[in-house]
Amino acid sequence: MLMPKKVKYRKQQRGRMRGKANRGSSLSFGEFGLQAMEPCWITARQIEAGRIAITRHAKRKGKLWIRAFPWKPVTKKPTEVRMGKGKGDPEFWVDVIKPGCILYEVEGISEEVAREAMRLASHKLPIRTRFVSRKSREWR
Amino acid sequence: MNLTIKCEKRDVFGKNASRRLRREGKVPAVLYGGNEPSTHLAIQKKDVFGILRSESGENTIFKASFDAESKDTMIKELQTDPVTDEILHIDLILIAMDKAVRVSVPIVVAGEAVGVKTEGGFVDLITREVEVECLPGDIPEQIGVDISDLHLHQSIKIEEITFPKGVENVSDPQTLVVLIEAPAKEEEIVMEAEEEEEVEVMAEGEQPEVIKKEKEEEEKKDQEASKEEKKE
Repeated sequence: MLMPKKVKYRKQQRGRMRGKANRGSSLSFGEFGLQAMEPCWITARQIEAGRIAITRHAKRKGKLWIRAFPWKPVTKKPTEVRMGKGKGDPEFWVDVIKPGCILYEVEGISEEVAREAMRLASHKLPIRTRFVSRKSREWR
Repeated sequence: MNLTIKCEKRDVFGKNASRRLRREGKVPAVLYGGNEPSTHLAIQKKDVFGILRSESGENTIFKASFDAESKDTMIKELQTDPVTDEILHIDLILIAMDKAVRVSVPIVVAGEAVGVKTEGGFVDLITREVEVECLPGDIPEQIGVDISDLHLHQSIKIEEITFPKGVENVSDPQTLVVLIEAPAKEEEIVMEAEEEEEVEVMAEGEQPEVIKKEKEEEEKKDQEASKEEKKE
């Protein structure tokens, strides 16, 4: 599963997810992609599940880019532990996703296959998403 | 070139006024370039769509008419909403028809590569736009690249593309444009699937290295060394 190799601090504060994505919101590598429509924390497990769904459906054809990376550690206290005594230990890793973020991009497969692969991947994610292509803009 | 867009001069600024404009079906814009001061404009959204849907797309040169004068312009930058794709703002730049401009022109792949037809590869279009310098009248709508002779693992670089007359490439000539890639082998995928489970188990308890720790250790060592020196 994805996680950083080195971090400056082991634990982070939770933060807020306000506004829309102002970077990483357009296709940079592939012809088709999956775009987030809602803000959320996507865990490393969810990113990995989506990746597996796409690669399985595309049947080793084409190329996949994962644009989301879980940079943020999430801590958790063990069960049946009283409050206090400091922050819990890092439990899993997430990426902060804002509406408009591109999560996956694919290239080298037909639109039909890409659309279905992205649909399968979207079911592994906790948010509403949409399929985007380079020709899908309103004025095109 | 014959396209003329009617614009209105805008004297109210800020997000409130801009939102009101957008609700009326207009797009806030700014016109700048040359030695003239910038002008704030409002353009009808349908006119902007007309420009963008034309064959030359964002590189279309048109006349912006306002206050009984019309100027040759083109779109410099387009701001869109990442979720709704609504056009939020347009930067227009003044064009002098006798001065060269730098624009990005889309690359279009033509033909079916041998590597795709018979060798089972797929086309990986790495660079989709190339930056060129030319006179505004010579801006090509697109630059075609013929890939029909490409075999597996063969590629085309920008230096191999023939540009139309009067059009000069400004991008790095060594940049890859298109590559015929081979799909991942079945064995690799099986190996990957086997590795996946192992990696997952290993990753459960693993923690990334903390950069700060090294520094702290170094600082401690330095402090101890300085203490010893003092004692002596």
